[in-house]
Amino acid sequence: MSQKLIKIPFEEYMSPGSVACPGCGGNLSMRYTQKALGLNTMIVIPACCWSIIDGPTPSSVNHVPVFHTAFETAAATASGIKAGLHAQGKDDTNVMAWAGDGGTFDIGFQALSGAAERNEDILYVTYDNEAYMNTGIQRSSATPYGSWTTTTPNKKERPKKNLIEALAAHHIPYIATASVAFPDDLIKKVEKAKSLRGTKFIHILAPCPPGWKTPPEITIKLARLAVETKIFPLFEIEEGWRYHITHESSGIPVGQYLKPQGRFSHLTEADYETIQRDVERNYKILKMKEKMSKEISAMD
Amino acid sequence: MGLVLNEKMKKYFDPETISEIKVIEGTHSASYAVELARVKVISAFPITPQTSIVEKLSEMCDRGELDAQFIKVESEHSAMAAVIGSEATGARSFTATSSQGLALMHEVLHWAAGARLPIVMANVNRALGPPWNIWADQTDSLAQRETGWIQFYCESNQEVLDTILMAYKLGEKVMLPVMVNMDAFFLSHTSEPVAIPKQELVDQFLPPYNPELKLDTDHPHAFGGLAMPNQYMELRYNIQKSMEEADRLIPEISREYARLMGRDHGAQIEEYRTDGADYLLFTSGTIAGTTRLVIDEYREKGIKIGMVKIRTFRPFPSRELREATRRCKKVGVIDRNISFGQSGIFFSETKAALYNSDHHPLMNGYIAGLGGRDVTPTNIREIADHLINSKEGQDLIWIGVKNESKTN
Amino acid sequence: MYDPLEDENGQPRFAVSTGDMSWNKTGSWRYMRPLYDNKIPPCTVGCPAHEKIPQYFAYVKDKKYEQAWHIILEDNPLPGVTGRVCYHPCEAVCNRGDYDESIAIHNMERFVADQNLKHHIPQSFIRDKHEETIAIIGSGPAGLSAAYQLTLLGYTVTIFEAAEQAGGMLRLGIPEYRLPREVLDKEIEDIVRLGVTIKTAIRVGRDIGMDTLQRDFNAVLIATGAYKSWGMNLPGEELKGIASGLSFLKEYNLTGSAPIGKRVVVVGGGNTAIDTARSALRLGADVTIVYRRSKAEMPAVPEEVEDAQREGIHIRFLTNPVGFSGNGKVEQIRLIRMELGEADESGRRRPIPIKGSEYTIDADQVLLAIGEVPDLDFLPDSFKLKKDRLLVDHFQRTGQPGIFACGDASTGPIGTVVDAIGTGKRAAHSIHQYLSSKTVHIPEEPTDGVPFDTLNLDYFQQESRPQERQHHSTQLKGDFNEVNLGIGEDDAVYEANRCFSCGTCTYCDNCLIFCPDVAIRFDVDKHEYVINYDFCKGCGICVQECPRNAMSYEEELKWA
Repeated sequence: MSQKLIKIPFEEYMSPGSVACPGCGGNLSMRYTQKALGLNTMIVIPACCWSIIDGPTPSSVNHVPVFHTAFETAAATASGIKAGLHAQGKDDTNVMAWAGDGGTFDIGFQALSGAAERNEDILYVTYDNEAYMNTGIQRSSATPYGSWTTTTPNKKERPKKNLIEALAAHHIPYIATASVAFPDDLIKKVEKAKSLRGTKFIHILAPCPPGWKTPPEITIKLARLAVETKIFPLFEIEEGWRYHITHESSGIPVGQYLKPQGRFSHLTEADYETIQRDVERNYKILKMKEKMSKEISAMD
Repeated sequence: MGLVLNEKMKKYFDPETISEIKVIEGTHSASYAVELARVKVISAFPITPQTSIVEKLSEMCDRGELDAQFIKVESEHSAMAAVIGSEATGARSFTATSSQGLALMHEVLHWAAGARLPIVMANVNRALGPPWNIWADQTDSLAQRETGWIQFYCESNQEVLDTILMAYKLGEKVMLPVMVNMDAFFLSHTSEPVAIPKQELVDQFLPPYNPELKLDTDHPHAFGGLAMPNQYMELRYNIQKSMEEADRLIPEISREYARLMGRDHGAQIEEYRTDGADYLLFTSGTIAGTTRLVIDEYREKGIKIGMVKIRTFRPFPSRELREATRRCKKVGVIDRNISFGQSGIFFSETKAALYNSDHHPLMNGYIAGLGGRDVTPTNIREIADHLINSKEGQDLIWIGVKNESKTN
Repeated sequence: MYDPLEDENGQPRFAVSTGDMSWNKTGSWRYMRPLYDNKIPPCTVGCPAHEKIPQYFAYVKDKKYEQAWHIILEDNPLPGVTGRVCYHPCEAVCNRGDYDESIAIHNMERFVADQNLKHHIPQSFIRDKHEETIAIIGSGPAGLSAAYQLTLLGYTVTIFEAAEQAGGMLRLGIPEYRLPREVLDKEIEDIVRLGVTIKTAIRVGRDIGMDTLQRDFNAVLIATGAYKSWGMNLPGEELKGIASGLSFLKEYNLTGSAPIGKRVVVVGGGNTAIDTARSALRLGADVTIVYRRSKAEMPAVPEEVEDAQREGIHIRFLTNPVGFSGNGKVEQIRLIRMELGEADESGRRRPIPIKGSEYTIDADQVLLAIGEVPDLDFLPDSFKLKKDRLLVDHFQRTGQPGIFACGDASTGPIGTVVDAIGTGKRAAHSIHQYLSSKTVHIPEEPTDGVPFDTLNLDYFQQESRPQERQHHSTQLKGDFNEVNLGIGEDDAVYEANRCFSCGTCTYCDNCLIFCPDVAIRFDVDKHEYVINYDFCKGCGICVQECPRNAMSYEEELKWA
């Protein structure tokens, strides 16, 4: 079969009418994730685009319980919900913290680290649009090198925080990256996370047309290019050390991903080269880790 | 029925209602209350002098005496966030903190009340830094007055235990969180005999928590989503209404508790020898205990002085205080706290409460015992004498401050 | 009564949701509108019969070969024939050719036809019933195609065939090793079963007059093909042993034998030349082809040329006869070398003889295959001709009321079996319009195929085209067994899936999967996607992520 036929569950657990911007990667992320989780699920949403997207009182896009909470509390609130459910014998309910990159990489990182260290039985998903988009495009520690934001009017000089590695250092059962351009891979990862006890962390790259200064129709194309350029490789980490690349990036030059985005429009050829070099190195490191973990597994 | 009490003890304890008498610190008093309330989820972060509450609870959970989930979070902020989550599922939840920890929680205290979650929290009143100071001071909890939490202040370890049980009953009726405060060390680390009520009586008093609305996959709702200006005000109005409902319920619940357990700490306020008093001292927390001695002493001398212990700061007992001051000439409010640039907080609140009263006694505000400084009978006598001799009201009178020159 | 959601004033007691967001009609945000808009693939444009290739591939993917066959039958009743002998212009324009290798469409068609050798065209295909009758002259691919389409339209059709057997050039000109007779017989039989009468051994103009046909039938279609071979007008052309390639093929194909020499020279570069040469080879001769241009200019199907060379036929390119000699019977052929000059009107470079390069080779038989024209002597002079063919307009009308022409007898388009089938189909629709309303317009025929650069290649991987199986004989003499054996089922399904399906929805679900707003659903009953424009925000992801340009994106104002 030549077509990469994508197969995802049929059921929808979201109503239409969300106030997400056209072409929102965050809206799609939720839609896919929910397909894997199903109705026996509760969602904790801290301050992020989804605080708005879910809908104003008394409405909610989601067909499962949603608990809105303060910016930095997603992981802690989810921990509490899980404990409350456990105390009532409802252990089979999936508790998911659903946060943006700001609420995860920055202000929510402490609570996330705490929950991960305690190995709370929750799924934490960050839909990463690489800046504070709900407040109008301010830089976060997830903003990549070179990106324009309203608070980096020239360009961001520091690289994106490698949160995945920070999470890996917590030795939680499951960590994965995922992309809205690969919904089957994303759903498979959520399903895997659902089957495991303990803290699961999934990092979804969710393009943001207004924040990235891109036309809405190329959301998927960009998400795919992020993967294929090795900028955002798709992989998973089990127990904090077993690396597995789930989709081999084809190695398209980074320029193809960066150039269509207004937030990178000021970059020079030298910038592309810098980014390309970093991307190649990071991917090599990832490949080495995958190889190393295979070798270590073989020794056991 | 193994409990045998001597005659003196019987004055204080009804053997029919209690399972045992424990000589325990105030922190442990809180821990036993949590056990009796059959709390399902606890989340807390250690801070002196709250620590022994959670240590005791950890032991109880570990030994299986308490069937609760204990989430040992990485901060007070997360502790509050966690019990917000657990309470939202309909699981009775508890946390405890103090001082800096409470200040850190501030944001989520609003969240707990706004989400209408009847969490109960024990707060050990401790000074805020810098400089570092771990001793008694009420500024930490009073600084949380706009968060929508019901606040109780306790005088004894027994009152701590009893109030926590009443707090659950009250909070779950009005769907608001309740903070039960005790002074650092004077209660938290001072052992007193505490009657542990029989579990069956507690169960009778406090039925299992089963809220109408909760996180429930069978009845999915989103909680706390954006409310527009045309909705927000009504939601805030409803919180105020619930506070007013709490004000109505507190005497009722206190009476019910007294009927079952044989102990009455008063409702919003407790009046002590106020009959025909010309002078009233308003107190809260452990200062009330010391004040009782001085009142007795002055009454012996024939001075018409009494005390009003304020138990609830929110809802503030304006009506009760107006009633209590109807016939007195002078009121002195003793505050172990300060709102910088204004005065003691109980003082300014009391003064505000009496403004719309038809009787306006002279009022003095006294600041005493900040950061754990002892408030001795001598200090109370100084305050009483000052009040009796005052010709006009004064908002801010420092007690025991070195080099402080007093007017009057 | 206590209501947890509302207080006594009817206001919300808590900030709690009581319903979903479907009240929020986000469609009002949209300024661009996506829509399902299947477009014509280049293969369908390239196919003279306009076969709906992606549509029948869709059934092949599911191994529903009978349904696939039925789709082909809408445009072509002879897929077993064309799947073998068509020069497949569809493949030349296949977008996949710009990506890796074009789809083996002819083999797909053949595979589908072969899967249905035991099935017959259902009578239910006949859509209507009309009183009018139609005479068709000639039972070649043009006549059969027209007869079939007219029958489906509900007319009574009689074909007059001069030969003993039906099939025209398919039977007379095409050798059996390319087109097994049981395939041809079966497909003709299918058409007859539908109700078409074929009267063989009746030559119009000899056995029955044109005027009789015009009197007895409501319309007449001339589909007599082109059988008159061009001569070369060279010295010695009258010698014995020099004949037309087509007459040689006809004789062999009808009787099973034909006189054959030892050293045969075939002149020409078209399919008739190759067929002639390979048939002669099979009858035991040593065969040389002489062609005046180079291999690149050869009009024959390149695969056929390759096969001919592989089988041992020697081709002298850039070579032309200038004369024949022999004692009553041809013994030698005099040749001259050619070089290529400027392009001529056909776009090919004109061959120019090189002075003084003549030479002679031995030949005891020369078969000329340099082109054929129709024999239209049976028609009155009132018919207009152009370059010896019946002049027809776009609707295959001859200018004479009720008389139409198609296939090689007409001005075309001409030249191949599928051109004949295409013009036959068009003539049928013209006749139907003529009979039913006297005004003629036929369904618009596709002109522009989906361009390659409008496809979303992210959904395709580079893959190669399956190799066709072949029968290679160690002893060619007497072996008229079919050489090309097509592809097997696995390859056919693989190839159906490899097809880009340009402009044709394959129900891959991409639009539905990638819709961020849950605004697309699949209607199972109607078997189609439905966009809920109440909610579609017009982001355009569905259009962008459609792999095959089966959707369009239009300004919303157009729809206001």
